Amino acid sequence: MIRRLLYAIPTLLGISVIVFFLTRLSPGDPIRIYTFGSQTITEDDIRQLRAFYGLDQPLPVQYVTWLLGVVRGDFGMSLQYHQPALGLLLDRLPATLQLASAALILQILIGVPLGVYAALRRGSWVDNAIRVFGVAGHAVPTFWLGLLAIIFFAVTLRVLPSQGLLTVGKDQSDIVDRLRHLILPAFVLALAAIANYSRYLRTETLDVIAQDFIRTAHAKGLRNRTVVYTHALRNALIPVVTALGGLLAVLVSGSLIIEQVFTWPGAGQFTYAAARAKDYPVIMAGVMLASTLLVISYLIRDVLYAVVDPRIKAR
Amino acid sequence: MKSTRAMRMFVSVLGAASLVATACAPSSTTPPATQAQAETPVAGGRIIEGSFSDIQRLNPATSNDATSSGISGKIYDALVNVDAKTGDPIPWLGKWTVSADGLTYSWTIEPKANWSDGKPIIADDFVTRVKAQLRSKVTPNKSQFDKVEGAKDYQAGKATSISGIKVDASDPKKFTVKFTDAFCPALLSVFGAAPLPTHIFGKYTVDSDITKNVDEAPENNNPPVASGPFKFKEWRKGDQVILSRNESYFLGAPLLDEYVLKVVADSTAASAQLKTGELTVNLIQPSEIADLSKQDSLKIYRWQDPGYTYIGWREQSPTATFFNDKRVRQALAYGINMKDVLQAVFFGEGTQMFSHHAPVSWAAATGLNPYAYDKAKAESLLKDAGYAKGADGFYAKEGKTLGFTIVTNQGNKTRETFLQVAAEQYKQIGVKVNPKLEAFEALVPKLTGGNPEVEAVIIGWQIGAEADSYTLWHSSSIPTPEKGGNNFVFYKNPRIDTLLDTGRGPDCSKETRKKAYQEFNQILNEDQPYNFGISGNRLLATASNIRGIDPGSFSPTGEWNIHKWWIKK
Repeated sequence: MIRRLLYAIPTLLGISVIVFFLTRLSPGDPIRIYTFGSQTITEDDIRQLRAFYGLDQPLPVQYVTWLLGVVRGDFGMSLQYHQPALGLLLDRLPATLQLASAALILQILIGVPLGVYAALRRGSWVDNAIRVFGVAGHAVPTFWLGLLAIIFFAVTLRVLPSQGLLTVGKDQSDIVDRLRHLILPAFVLALAAIANYSRYLRTETLDVIAQDFIRTAHAKGLRNRTVVYTHALRNALIPVVTALGGLLAVLVSGSLIIEQVFTWPGAGQFTYAAARAKDYPVIMAGVMLASTLLVISYLIRDVLYAVVDPRIKAR
Repeated sequence: MKSTRAMRMFVSVLGAASLVATACAPSSTTPPATQAQAETPVAGGRIIEGSFSDIQRLNPATSNDATSSGISGKIYDALVNVDAKTGDPIPWLGKWTVSADGLTYSWTIEPKANWSDGKPIIADDFVTRVKAQLRSKVTPNKSQFDKVEGAKDYQAGKATSISGIKVDASDPKKFTVKFTDAFCPALLSVFGAAPLPTHIFGKYTVDSDITKNVDEAPENNNPPVASGPFKFKEWRKGDQVILSRNESYFLGAPLLDEYVLKVVADSTAASAQLKTGELTVNLIQPSEIADLSKQDSLKIYRWQDPGYTYIGWREQSPTATFFNDKRVRQALAYGINMKDVLQAVFFGEGTQMFSHHAPVSWAAATGLNPYAYDKAKAESLLKDAGYAKGADGFYAKEGKTLGFTIVTNQGNKTRETFLQVAAEQYKQIGVKVNPKLEAFEALVPKLTGGNPEVEAVIIGWQIGAEADSYTLWHSSSIPTPEKGGNNFVFYKNPRIDTLLDTGRGPDCSKETRKKAYQEFNQILNEDQPYNFGISGNRLLATASNIRGIDPGSFSPTGEWNIHKWWIKK
C-alpha cells in the first residue's frame, strides 16, 4: 500500500510539469487580461504586478519556486482573488464531492441492477431497451442532456430548480432544498456512467452465468436468487471494479461540465473559470487536486479488488 | 458553454473601460413614472440579479472586475456620482468647489452621512482609501491618483503622508486635494474612488512601512460597515452574494430588504431563471428580447448606451499596409450596410455610430457623415487608391488582392455574427475578408501589447460618463512591445492629440471641452480609424412587480437609484 502511495508521487510530478508548462506556454497574459481597460494603468504598474507574482522569472525558475511552495503546502495566491489558491479550491471542494458522490451512488444503485437484470432477461425487450439506453446514454453529450433537463424539469414543469446550490433566501442548512438542487445535476452526471456500468455488468454477468460453477450451483438446488446474487454477481463485479477507476475519471471530468451547466459552485467550475482567466496558481492547484483525487480513487479501487476477489491480497 | 464564454467576455470588456462611476440617459420603453405616481411605495422583499461570474475582491481599492465593482459600489458610495441621464458629475456623499487655477478641489462631506455603525463618514476615510490603494501590491489601479500632489512619494515610501491632501483641522468632514496639473477627468476618476472606513481599514496601511498593505485584510471580503444603500451580509462562494438594507443610508433607507447576486452559467440559464422567477433582474442580450417579452411576469427596460462595438483597422499592420490609406478605410465605411448589421446582428436594438462619442453623450458632434451604404462610392474610392478589379471579382493592386483578416473573440455571438455579415458585404464590393475567431484571453494581450499580427479586429468599448478618451486615441497610447496601450489601431493625428490634451484641462469648463470633443469626433468621422459600428442598447429584464426603476444611459446597470426600487405586493 505504502509502495503504491510512493508510486503516485512521480505520476503527480509528471502531471504538474506538463500542466505547468502547457498553461504558461499557451498564448495570453494574465496580467494584461486582468488589467484590461484600467484607464490609469501604466506599463510600470504591469511590470510591478508581474514581478509581484513572480511571472517575470524564467519558466524553470517559476516551476521550482512553485514546487518548493507546494512542498510547504503553499500553492500560491490566486491572481484574480488574491487569496491562497488551495484554500479557494478547498472551499469549493465539498460541493464537488457532494455532486460526485451522489452521482456515484446513483450509478451503482441503478446501473448494477439494470445490468444484471438485462443479462438475466437476455434477448427480451427489456434487455434491448436497456442496451439501447446504454448506447444512447454513452453517446449523448452531458451538457446537452443537462440543458434538456433544465428546460423540461425546471422551466416547463417547474418541479425542480434549474441552477445553483440553494434557493435564494433559504438557509444553508436546509437539507430538503439542497437535495432538490442536487437531483438534476446528479442524475445527469450519473446517466452516462449508469449506461456504461449497466453495459459492463450485463456482459460480465452473461460471461459468469455461462460458467460451470453456476451450473453446479443450480444443480446443488440453490435458489435462483442466491445463485445470481451470491455467486454470479460477486464474480461479475471484479472487472466492474476495474471499470470503476476509469469511471471516476469520467466523473471528475464530467462534473466539470455539469458544474458549468448547472452553475454548481464546485472546484471543477472554479478551475475552469481560472483556466479562462489564466489564473495560474488556481489552475495548478485545481489540476493537482483532481489528479490526487484520481490517484486516491485508484487506490480505493485496488482495495476494493481485494474485497470482491479474495484471491487478490492487499499489500 | 459557448454562450457562457460570450457573456464572460462581454463582462471582461466592461470591467475594462468602465473604471469610473456610473451615469445615465433617457429612453425606456415604459415610462416608470406613470405607475409610480399611482402607487405608494412599500418596504420589503428582495431582488435577485444574475451574474455570469462570481465576485473576486470586495475592497474597491484592490479590485478591477465588473462584478466585484458592482457589489462594492452598492456597499461603498463615492463623494461624487454622475447624473444617470446626462452624465454630468453631481454631488453625492460630498460637495466640491474648484480653485480658479483648476488645481485644488475643496470638499465637504454631507453632515448626515454616516457609516452603517453610526460613525460619521469623514475626510480621513477618503485618505484611507487613497493610501490603501497607493500601497496595495495587487491593485491594477495603482496610478489612479498619480496626479494628486505627493501621491507618488507616498507610494514609494519617500513620504509618510500625501502632501496634496489636507484635512481641515477644525472640521473632520472638510478637506482639500491639490493636483500637480489641472486634469479635468480627475473629478470622476479621483473622487469617484469611494472612501473606506478608517476605523476598519486604517490600521492596515502603515505610513512609515511600505511593506504593510490592505491586500490581505480579512475585512476586504467581509466588510463590516457600509456607506452605500446596502450592507454586506453573506458571500456563498460561487453561488450567491447577499446584501441587506443599510438603515442609516444618507439618502434614506432603501425599500428593498435585500439585494442578492446569483451566479448563473450563461445567458440561456439566465433566461430560464428569469422565466421561473429564480432571477428577478438581469441584463439580457438582444437575441433574447423576442422570447422574454412574451412573458407576462417580466418587464423589459431598454436604453441607449455610450459604449459601442466596432471594426478597428490596424494602420501599422505590416501585412495590411493599405489600412494606412484613408480612402481605403472610407471605402470600407461606405461598403457595409450598417442598417442591415443593426437589424441582423443587434435585432434593431441599438444606434449606428459615426464617431467615438455616442449621441447620448454631451461630447458628441452633430452633422457627421453617416457613410450611408453606397457600393459605387466605395468602389470609386478603392479605384482612387490605385486598385483595379480583377477577373476574380476582387480588387487588386500590383498583383496583390485587397484582402485581410478580421479577428474577433470567440464565443461572443454578437461579434461573431457581425464578422460574418461584414465578410459577406465586403465581398460584394470586391474586398476579400478572412474571418477568424480567437480566444479573448489570447486576443487582448496581442492588441494591447503592440503585436501587429492582427490586421483588423471587431471588439467593443464600454464608455463611462467621462468624455476623456486619451487612452484610446492619443498617439502616446499606441502600444509597442515595450509599452502597452489601448490605441491598438495605431491611429496617429497631431490635431487629435491637441484636442485630447485640451479636453484634459486646464480649462475644465463644459463649453471648452465640448468644443474640443466635437472637433475630435468630426476628425475621427472623417478619418475612419474604426468603422464605428453600433452602440447596442442596454436591455434590462425585471420581474414586472419591481417598481421605481428609472434607467439612464450613464448607469450601465440601471441601478443608480436602487435605494428607491420597491416591490409591489
